[in-house]
Amino acid sequence: MALCYKASMKPDQAEQNLQVIRTLMERSTLYRRALGPIMFVTGLLGALAALIGFYSRLSFVPYWIGVSIIILVVAFVLVRRQALTDREPVWSPPTKRVAQALLPALLSGALLTYVCLGEGLQEPRLFVVGWMMLYGCALHAAGFFAPQGIRRLGWLFIVGAIACACISIPPNVTMGLSFGGFHLAYGIYLFATKKP
Amino acid sequence: MNPETFQKLDRVIHEAGRMAIMSLLAANAEMSFTEIRDTLNMTDGNLAMHIRALQQAGYVGVTKSFQDKRPRTTCSLTSSGRKAFEKYIETLAEIVRQSQG
Repeated sequence: MALCYKASMKPDQAEQNLQVIRTLMERSTLYRRALGPIMFVTGLLGALAALIGFYSRLSFVPYWIGVSIIILVVAFVLVRRQALTDREPVWSPPTKRVAQALLPALLSGALLTYVCLGEGLQEPRLFVVGWMMLYGCALHAAGFFAPQGIRRLGWLFIVGAIACACISIPPNVTMGLSFGGFHLAYGIYLFATKKP
Repeated sequence: MNPETFQKLDRVIHEAGRMAIMSLLAANAEMSFTEIRDTLNMTDGNLAMHIRALQQAGYVGVTKSFQDKRPRTTCSLTSSGRKAFEKYIETLAEIVRQSQG
């Protein structure tokens, strides 16, 4: 029995086992909970909000602050719901890691918005570029603890922000295309590639 | 290659399913039964069998509790489990080193 056991282990198998262990350890620390629904719903709400913003006379910055708060609450509800369904704690280690990675850039965005409003700045384009840039940085940081697509999405927002700084597009359209369109596209991609 | 190195491999861990479970638990302080099952695409029965074997070896601790009135089973590595897993990885690395040089 011991002899069979000894013979069954080859050096290349040992290397494969080490690779499997490494992959599993990395994969298990990634955040995956409700990512598809969060992206899809965020995109849908973002696109809808952009449409409403475009056809209404609502003040741009306060309107989008309100929208972002609603989206944050909806995202948290989705995360909590899936955690309860899976009988897991809401603040699992991967969730904590992602939240910690998102926090610096998101807090910086909130603080900058507050300071700019305090200084009387009302130029919507300025806010759109700042929000997209910092949100992209937040996603990129979170992407180290989530599937790789998140980091690419982060880069898309950063590149989008640079493009938005160079090209003049109505701010609500930019918000709809980025916060609506990018999220929606990534949500659809996640649903389409989801393993049964 | 030194055949004694192969003998050092822990038989409890050296099984695909149990090695995978130990890998997950080595990377996370604790994981729920469903989390492990879903990550490894195992059936409830298969996972329970492997967890039981690891528990009997003293490598894994199992805690049963209630969350929102629902039963919840969490697994974590014991200190001897962590040591055994580290030793297992060292042995694998040694086998690879010996085969290369």
